[in-house]
Amino acid sequence: MQKGKIARLGAWLWRHAHLLLTVAALLAWSRLASAWAVLLFLPVWVLATQLIVAGSLESARLRRRAWLGQYLREDSPWHRWLRGGALMVVRHQVVGALLALVLLVQLRLLPLVGWPLLLAGAVVLVGVDRELRRRLARHVIAEHLAAVSRRLLVPPVAGLLALGLVAAALWLPQPYLVGLGWEEAMLRHLPESDGGSLLGFLERLAGVVQTSQFWAMQNAVAHLKLGAPFALLGWVLLLLAQGAVAWAYVRVLVGAEALRRRRLRLPERAGLARCGEKLP
Amino acid sequence: MRLSLAGRRWGLSLLVVAALLLLLEGGWRWLEGRSQEPLFRVIVAGETLTLDAETHTDFQRDLTVLADEAQVRLAGRMTPWIEARLEGAFAPLEAAVPGYLEWYFSASGSYTRLGMALVGDLDGWLDEQLHARLVAPSGIEAALAELEADYATTLAREQRALMGDMAGTLHTRYVSRQATAEGDAEPPVLDLDVALRQSLDDGLDRSRWQLAAVGGGGLGLLAGRTVAARLGSTTVVQGSRLALRSLAARLASGATRALASGSTAAAVSAPTGPGALVAGSVTTAVTLAGIAGSEYALLKAQEALQRPAMQAQLHDEISRTRASLARRLEAATLGAARAMAERLSRASFHEREGETPEAYRILGGQGE
Repeated sequence: MQKGKIARLGAWLWRHAHLLLTVAALLAWSRLASAWAVLLFLPVWVLATQLIVAGSLESARLRRRAWLGQYLREDSPWHRWLRGGALMVVRHQVVGALLALVLLVQLRLLPLVGWPLLLAGAVVLVGVDRELRRRLARHVIAEHLAAVSRRLLVPPVAGLLALGLVAAALWLPQPYLVGLGWEEAMLRHLPESDGGSLLGFLERLAGVVQTSQFWAMQNAVAHLKLGAPFALLGWVLLLLAQGAVAWAYVRVLVGAEALRRRRLRLPERAGLARCGEKLP
Repeated sequence: MRLSLAGRRWGLSLLVVAALLLLLEGGWRWLEGRSQEPLFRVIVAGETLTLDAETHTDFQRDLTVLADEAQVRLAGRMTPWIEARLEGAFAPLEAAVPGYLEWYFSASGSYTRLGMALVGDLDGWLDEQLHARLVAPSGIEAALAELEADYATTLAREQRALMGDMAGTLHTRYVSRQATAEGDAEPPVLDLDVALRQSLDDGLDRSRWQLAAVGGGGLGLLAGRTVAARLGSTTVVQGSRLALRSLAARLASGATRALASGSTAAAVSAPTGPGALVAGSVTTAVTLAGIAGSEYALLKAQEALQRPAMQAQLHDEISRTRASLARRLEAATLGAARAMAERLSRASFHEREGETPEAYRILGGQGE
C-alpha cells in the first residue's frame, strides 16, 4: 500500500518533472549572488525564452490552423504555405526573449516571500490543466485537446497569479517614501547592485519602476490632494509589473508543458499533418 | 530530424537572445559613455576646485569624516575652557563661604535669625541672607553673565578655527587631484565656504537657543538664583532651621505664659491705671530674655558642632552647582557642534541630490 503510494507520488512527480525543474531553475537563479547570476544570465535567458516560445508558437499555430481551416479548402496547398514559418518563429522568439527578460529581472527583485505564491501558481496550473482537460475531453478533438486546454489555461491562471502578486505587493512592507520627492526617493531606495554589468543595470531600471510605483501609491494615499494621476500611475505600474511577471511565468510553465508533451508524443509536424486529414 | 529541429529551435533562441543581449549591452554602454565623467566644482578655502565623480565622492566622504572629527575636537577644545572659566567664577564664592559662616554663627547673625524665626518668614529671609552675604559679594552673577557672553564668542571663534582647519585640510588634499574640465558644460558647484559659514551660524543659533531654553533669561541670573536656592536647601542648613523653628515654638509658648503671669501680677498690684500694663510688659520681656538666653546657649553649642559639616556641605553644593553648569555648557557645545555637522552633511547631500541627474545614477552604479 505504502509502496503503491510512493510509486504514485513518484509517477506524479515524474509527470510534472519539467515544471519542477523549470521552477527550481528560476528560483535558484533569482537567489544567486549577482556575480553568479551575471554568469548564468545568458543560459537562463535562453531557457526561459525557449520555453515561452514553445508555448506561444503552439498557440499561434493553433490559431492559424483554425483560421485557415475556416477559409481554405481542405486540399489546398496553402495550408502548408500559410501554416506559419520562419517569420512567425522569429517574431515569437523576439517577443518571447523580451518577455523572458522582464520575467527574469522582476524575479531578481522579488523577495523570497513572493515565491510561495509562484509555487502555488504552478500547482494551480497543474490542477486547472487537469480539470480543463477532463471537461474539454468530450468536446474537443483528441488531437488538439492538450493544446486547446493549454491555450485556455493561460488567462485565468495568469490572472489569478497576478491578483495574488498584487495583493502580496500591497501587503509586503515597502520603504517609507511619504513626503519625499521622487528624486530623493530614488536616491535613497534604489537597490544597491553592482554597476558593472548589464544585469545590474536592468535590475536598477526595474528598481526605479518599482520605487516609482511605491512612491506614487504611498504619496497618493497619504496626500489626497496629490490625487488621481499619482494613484493611477502607481496602480498602472503595479498592475503592469505584476501582470507581466504572472503572465510570463505562466507562459514559461505552459511552454515547458508543451515542450515535454510534444517530445513524449509524436513530433508536432507529423501530428499536424495527420490532423489535417483526419477531421471527423 | 526531431533532434535537429529541436536543436534549431534552441539555436534560434540563443541567437535571438544573444542579439538582444548585444543590443542592450551596446545601448547601455553608449548611455554609460554619454553619462560618464560628470564633473563637480567645489569652492573650498576661497578657491574653486574641479573634481571628477570619483574624487568628488572621496571629497564628500572626507568632508563627513572631518565634520565628525570637528564635532569631537570642538568639545575637546571647549571643555577645558569652560572648566577654567567656571573655576574662576566659582572661586570667590568658595572663598566667601567662611565669611558667611562667620556671620551665620556670630552673635548678631544668630540673634537676627532667632528674631526672624519668631516673626515667621525664616526661609525667605535666610535665602535672602544667603544671596546678600554669600552670592552677591562673591560677584558670581556678574562672572557667570560674563562667562555666558564669552562662551558665545569663544564658541564662535573655536568653530571658525575648526572650519578653517577643515577647509585647509580639504584644500591641500584635493588641490592636486583636480580634473581638467573639458567641453562647455558647466559642472555643478558646491560652495563649501558658504556651507561652512551657514553651518556655523546654524550651530551658534542652536547653542544660543539651548542656553535660552535652559535659563529662560541670562545664565548669570539663573546661576545666582540657583546657587542661593541650592545652598539654602542643604541638609545641615535645613536641620538648623528646624532647630530654630522648634525653639521659636517653645519661645512662643513661654512668652504666652510670661505674658499671662505678668498680667496677673499687674492685675494684683494695680488693678487699674496705665502703670499696670507697663509693669506687665517689663516682666514679660525679662522672662522672654531669660528663656531665650538659656535656650540660645543650647542652640549655640549645637551649631558649633554643625559648623564644619555645614561648611563642607556648602562647598559640596557649590561644586555640584558648578558641575551642573559645566554639564549644561558642554551640552550646549555638543548641540552646536552637532548642528554644525548636520548642516554640513545636509549641504553636501542637497548638493549631490540637486545636481546629479537621476538617470546617471541608474546607469552608472552607486558612485556617480
